[in-house]
Amino acid sequence: MTSRQLMHRSEAAVSIELETPGMTLNIGPQHPSTHGVLRLVAKISGERIDEIEPVIGYMHRGYEKLSEVRTYAQITALVNRIDWVSGFANEVPFILGVEKLMGVEVPERAQWIRLILTELARISSHLVFMSSFPLELGASTPLMHMLRDREHILELIEDVTGGRFHPNFNRVGGVKPVYGGGSKTKKQSMDLPAGFFKRTLKAMDLMEQSCRDIDTLVTGNEVVRARTIGIGVIPSDKALEYGLTGPNLRASGVAYDLRKVENYLPYDQIDFDVVSRTGGDSFDRYLVRVGEVRESIKIIRQAVDLIPAGPLQTKVPRVLKVPAGQVYSRAENPKGEFGYYIVSEGGKMPYRLKIRSTSFSNLSILPWILKGQLIPDLVAIMGSFDFVLGDVDR
Amino acid sequence: MSDQPDTPPEPETDSIAEYAAAITERLGAEGYTVEFDTARVFVAKDKWVATINEARKELPLFSWLSAIDWSRETEVGEGVAEPDELEERFEVMCRLSSVTDARAINFFATLSKDDPTIGSLTATIGGAEWHEREAHEMFGIMFEGNENLIPLYLPDDFIGNPLLKSFPLIAREVKPWPGDVDVEGLPSSDDDDGGDV
Repeated sequence: MTSRQLMHRSEAAVSIELETPGMTLNIGPQHPSTHGVLRLVAKISGERIDEIEPVIGYMHRGYEKLSEVRTYAQITALVNRIDWVSGFANEVPFILGVEKLMGVEVPERAQWIRLILTELARISSHLVFMSSFPLELGASTPLMHMLRDREHILELIEDVTGGRFHPNFNRVGGVKPVYGGGSKTKKQSMDLPAGFFKRTLKAMDLMEQSCRDIDTLVTGNEVVRARTIGIGVIPSDKALEYGLTGPNLRASGVAYDLRKVENYLPYDQIDFDVVSRTGGDSFDRYLVRVGEVRESIKIIRQAVDLIPAGPLQTKVPRVLKVPAGQVYSRAENPKGEFGYYIVSEGGKMPYRLKIRSTSFSNLSILPWILKGQLIPDLVAIMGSFDFVLGDVDR
Repeated sequence: MSDQPDTPPEPETDSIAEYAAAITERLGAEGYTVEFDTARVFVAKDKWVATINEARKELPLFSWLSAIDWSRETEVGEGVAEPDELEERFEVMCRLSSVTDARAINFFATLSKDDPTIGSLTATIGGAEWHEREAHEMFGIMFEGNENLIPLYLPDDFIGNPLLKSFPLIAREVKPWPGDVDVEGLPSSDDDDGGDV
C-alpha cells in the first residue's frame, strides 16, 4: 500500500476530496444476511456505522391478538410457526403452561417424548445456524453438509409427528397418538413408530460426525477466526440488560440454562453440561452452539435409555375449559428463553397471551452492538445471533 | 431415575412464595401473589422505575415488558368472568429474572384508562425500548422518558391500538372463523366437564 507521503500531490488532493461525509445506507428488508425481512437503516461514515436503526414488523402476524380468539388447542398450531426452525420447542412451554393452569398430570412417557423432540429441534436449529453462519462469512460448503445432515433429524421428527417443520404434536395432557389413531386402530398406534429409538441413536452417531465436520470446515478456519474473534463483543451486563438468553447469553460468560434451573420436563434426571464461554464475541457464540449440539446428542442418548413405557396421553375433556389464573411458563429453546404469559379468565380461550419470543429480545441489542462496527462485521455479528424473523415479529 | 428424590416440587414452590414475600417487603411494594409458580409483585405507578431498578440488583435479567387491557366491553375473544366487578384499567408488567436459579418476579403496575402514563425504564435498561414501543403501539400506553416511541411493528400511518379489547379483529368481522363452528358444535362438552380434570 502506498502511504500518503509517497502519493503524488494531485493524487493526495483527490483522496482528500473523496472522503465521504455521513450517508444513510439501507440494508434489507430483502438482503440475504437479514434472514428474512429485517431492514436496517444505517448512518455510516465510510465503512463505519455511526448509528443503526433496525426496522422490524414486516412479518408481524399478530399472534397475541389471534390467540384471544382461538381455543387453547388451536393455539398450538399457531405457536409452532413463531420460530419455524424449531417448531416443536415453541409448543412445549405453552402446553406446559396450560397444563399447569388446568392441573393436568401428564404421563411420564409423554414428558420424555417431549424432551427428546425438543432436543432434536435444538440440533436441527443449531445445524441451520451452522450452515447459515459460515455462508454469511462467505463459505458455502458447510451449508451443504449441515443441511444434508439436518435431513436425518427432520426425518425423525416427521416420523413421529407427521410434520417436518410444524409438528403440532403436543396436546394438553400428553402428545398426539401417532398416525392419527382412529378409534379402530387406536390401541396399536398409541406409541412412537417402530424402530424410532434405533434410528434416533443412528442419527446421533451421524450428528457426532457433523460436529467433527464443522470443526474441520469452520472452527479451525483461519478466515472465519479472523472475521469473528473479538468481533461484536457483548459484555455480560449488557447482555442481561437487553434480555439476551440462550447461546447468545452463555457466550458472554453467564451459564444460565433453564433446563438446569427451571423445573420442567425430566431434565433433572439427565447428566449434561451447560456450555458457556467468556469472550462474548461472534466466535464464542458459534462455539457455544457447536458445543450444545454435542450436549444434545448426550441428552438424547440418555433419554432413549431412560424413557419409561406407558401411555402418551391422560384423559382430558374434549372441550378444554381452563380455570381462571395467570401463569408464566418458560422453556430453554434452541435460541434461548421462550415463554408465554397466559391470562385465563376461565373459558375456552385465553383472555390475553403474551408471547416472550427469544429472537425479539436477542435482536433488541442490535442498535447498541452495531454502533461503531464496520459494515462487513455487521454480517458476521448478525449471523452469530441466530435469529429468525418469525420469532422477532410474532 | 433413582438418584434424585432430593428436590421434590413442593419446596420449590414455597421458596418462590417466600422470595416474593421477601422482595415485596424489601422494595416496599404494595403486595404480591404467587400462583402456579408465577410470582406477581404489585408496584405503585409512581414507584415503577425506582422499584424495577432496585430489583435488578438481585434479578439482573430483564426478560420482557408488556401490558394487559382489563376491559368490560370486549370486541374480540372472551371477556372477563364477572364484568360488573371489573375495574377498567391497564396493567403494565415487567419480568425480571435471576440467572443463577429459578427466582423470577413479574412486576405489575396499574394504570387508569384516563391517564395511561408510566415512567420509562430505558434510562437504565436499554432493552426496554423495544418492549415499550410495542406496548405503546399495541395499547396506547405512554412511557415518559422514552424518546423513541415510534411504531415498532405497525405501519407509520396505522390508526388504533390493536391489542385493546375494544379493537375489532377485522379478519373476523369480514369472515367468521370456521373453527368456531367446530368448537361450539362439539356434543359432549357437558359430560366431559366433570372428567378427570
